[in-house]
Amino acid sequence: MEKLTQSVEEYLEAVFKLTAGGAPLTVGQLAEALGVSPPSVSEMVRRLRAAGLVEEDRGRGIRLTARGRTEGGRLVRRHRLSERFLVDLLEMPWDAVHDEACKLEHALSPEVEARLAAQLGNPRTCPHGRAIPDERGRLAEEPVRPLSDLEAGDVGTITCVSEEQAELLRYLASLGLLPGTEVAVESVAPFGGPVLVRVGEAQYALGREVAGKILVRR
Amino acid sequence: MGGQQPNEATDIPTSDVRRGAAVAPPVVCLVGNPNVGKSSLFNCLTGSAVETAHCAGVTTAATAVCTEWAGTEVEVVDLPGVYGVDVSGGDQEAARRALFEACPDVVVAVVDATNLARNLYLVLQLLDLGYRVVVALNLIDEAKRRGLDIDAAELARRLGVPVVPTVAPRGQGVDELTETVLRVAASANGAGRGPDRDYGEAVGERLDELTVAVMQRLSGRRPAFGLGARAIAMALLEADTAVAAASGLDVTELLRREDDSFALEIARRRHLLARTIAAASSTARQRRGADTWWRITTSSLTGIPILVGVMAAIFVTLFFVGDLLAQALTSAWEAAVSPLLTEAVGALFGEGALGATILWGLDGGVLAILAVGIPYILTFYFILALLEDSGYLNAAAFLTDRLMHHFGLHGRAVIPLIAAGGCNVPAVIATRSLTSMRERTIAAALITLTPCSARTAVILGAVALFAGWQWALFVYGVLIVVGVGAGLALNRILPGQGGPLVMEMFPFRRPVLGQVARKTWRRFREFVWDAAPIILAGSFILGALYETGAIWRFTAVLAPVVEDWLMLPAVAGLTLLFAVLRKELALQLLIAFAAVTVGTHADDLTTFMSTSQIVTYAVVNSIYVPCVATIAVMGRELGWRRTAAVSLGTVMLALVAGGVLARLLPLLGA
Repeated sequence: MEKLTQSVEEYLEAVFKLTAGGAPLTVGQLAEALGVSPPSVSEMVRRLRAAGLVEEDRGRGIRLTARGRTEGGRLVRRHRLSERFLVDLLEMPWDAVHDEACKLEHALSPEVEARLAAQLGNPRTCPHGRAIPDERGRLAEEPVRPLSDLEAGDVGTITCVSEEQAELLRYLASLGLLPGTEVAVESVAPFGGPVLVRVGEAQYALGREVAGKILVRR
Repeated sequence: MGGQQPNEATDIPTSDVRRGAAVAPPVVCLVGNPNVGKSSLFNCLTGSAVETAHCAGVTTAATAVCTEWAGTEVEVVDLPGVYGVDVSGGDQEAARRALFEACPDVVVAVVDATNLARNLYLVLQLLDLGYRVVVALNLIDEAKRRGLDIDAAELARRLGVPVVPTVAPRGQGVDELTETVLRVAASANGAGRGPDRDYGEAVGERLDELTVAVMQRLSGRRPAFGLGARAIAMALLEADTAVAAASGLDVTELLRREDDSFALEIARRRHLLARTIAAASSTARQRRGADTWWRITTSSLTGIPILVGVMAAIFVTLFFVGDLLAQALTSAWEAAVSPLLTEAVGALFGEGALGATILWGLDGGVLAILAVGIPYILTFYFILALLEDSGYLNAAAFLTDRLMHHFGLHGRAVIPLIAAGGCNVPAVIATRSLTSMRERTIAAALITLTPCSARTAVILGAVALFAGWQWALFVYGVLIVVGVGAGLALNRILPGQGGPLVMEMFPFRRPVLGQVARKTWRRFREFVWDAAPIILAGSFILGALYETGAIWRFTAVLAPVVEDWLMLPAVAGLTLLFAVLRKELALQLLIAFAAVTVGTHADDLTTFMSTSQIVTYAVVNSIYVPCVATIAVMGRELGWRRTAAVSLGTVMLALVAGGVLARLLPLLGA
């Protein structure tokens, strides 16, 4: 397998993190996350696609291919292991290690990576609390569940709204039911009835079929 | 301009012409989220207004009123309560169109101070469309009570538009609001416009690019609805292509495939910005505690008993209080007005068929309006307004949503259906709270199948009295089976499907009696206006048929249906025809008509009808065609085509149920 350039690796890592919720990623979102202009993102996405790492997701954006997921996951693993190393062994402050880790991650060979992981006691999370993927790049299953599975008193953050109907999606968006929003389940109606959720100061009753399409992470 | 007559907009068809005229009053649109007190603010702003019906060019989604503020004429347009004006179908899209078509000079964005973050989303969206906006910061008293301080000056600074704190029900801040709106409307500079918002680099770049493209393509032409190029570009990115198309632009050429993703990104950014602005301009002195009332009314353990209690209270009030009032009114009318009316009509038109027909219409018709309208409809409207204003309606909808889903309805339909047990007329009007026409049609059909107090009077007076209470229960059982069956069937037959439930649950508020009364009165006036002519006309026609003897000719026409299929005496069929006027008439007329055909003792139904026939008669009377008053309101609410379909459908159902019962009941020993 050809060696990826450092900048391609940076992009792949970003795509991996941004698509963790399952929703497709747009060029605009990626550009914003990386702080670069959309044209240069488009160019890089083209290269990622040519390398078979990302693919088009029904015209709604891009998503990782199976290979992209593995490669991206392994990059994230090396980054987060590097952060652990800097914090745990070199005792650097945890809020200062990100940039250093960005440099280190590209230099680690699989051999060094394995030894580092063993040395650190195979940590499961980075110093910032985020999960470290395993050596095959897989992220431990994130507990993403449909909102309809939550019980009264549960709190979650919307990761994705898997609605095909654009109109409903836009309606939910106008109410603020968007990825990244924190929702608290206040009450659940009996016999498969609606779910009462609180979003900010507002409360909404969502039918089960709607709540089933809203995926949340606890 | 002080003494000038309101500008008769209906004389001049297009809004452009009107706006071009020297006297054109500024158009002010009222926009806001649902339940933020927009209606009461609208009342304050147009309090002394002459209602000039709907002004030209405004869709039915909006109410326009021409009024005067401190001697200046203005046209105030009230839009339905929405969370955003976007292309998401339903109300929000209708409001968007109405807003565009109104071409407002100033938009008053009514925001709820207790939920600033969510409300500001709409304000930002209006500003993005290039409208001049004045924010009415409503419910500040309530916010204060909840320990929330809002810095109106800071909010105005951050939004870049004027902000006026108001307490609508008390008229507080209204004068300042009208002054500010007029000042903004008169100013030539950018007052009320606010700066361009930053929705991130990606959105910003694409928006700039599209704006330039739109400007070039327009090449000096004026875009539709007086919008700017940037507003059109924003609309395109938010998936609204209609505006660009209406401005003569080629949308497919302007848009790229990846533009699809911008709509949600803009929504996300706008919410973020709204939250930031809200947080920066308000300070919470205490954290808002959980709403105990919500807990109690929506949890299944306590909520369901409360729901059953409230429903029972509505039913009992309508059934008994309504009935009591109806009887009191009827006897008062019969004692005081009827004799005078009979005498007057007799003196003017003689005692013949003409005089008697007029009496049917005036005496019978007006009595029907009084006996249905005041006791049942006025009472129900009052209860409905109380439930709406307190916020309980939503709790009821929440709990019953699942059940109603089987019929393709939302939980909101439960109130109309319960009300139908008292009287179908207000129930049909109450279906307005349902969103889609499909839901409203199903709900209206089920309402007409629900026995109202008048039909219950027949069931009790005929079946329970002459055939026994167990047969009365049997009739109810049949009606429930028919109703549930019809609901399930309609949900399958009608195209489309029940939409998903997404409903805001408003916090409980203490209803303001004055507002409840005003709402009740406004709706009641509408009922009288729409239904009264039809009830009167129906009474005249039936009166003429009866007095000229033409009615007896129907006996022969109806014979195959009534005698052969339903196996009822011919005279019973006639009374069913008359019961269209008022369902309880069926029994009274049956006894009266039977006296003509079978002689005395007709007041005991058993002398000429078997138990099977009595039960069949009551079932048919309960199912077929709602009364004229119901038909009248249904015609207005659903359109005449749907009303005809529902009416014919119930006739068929009644015939099927009646025919089957007539053959089955004798086998059961009836």
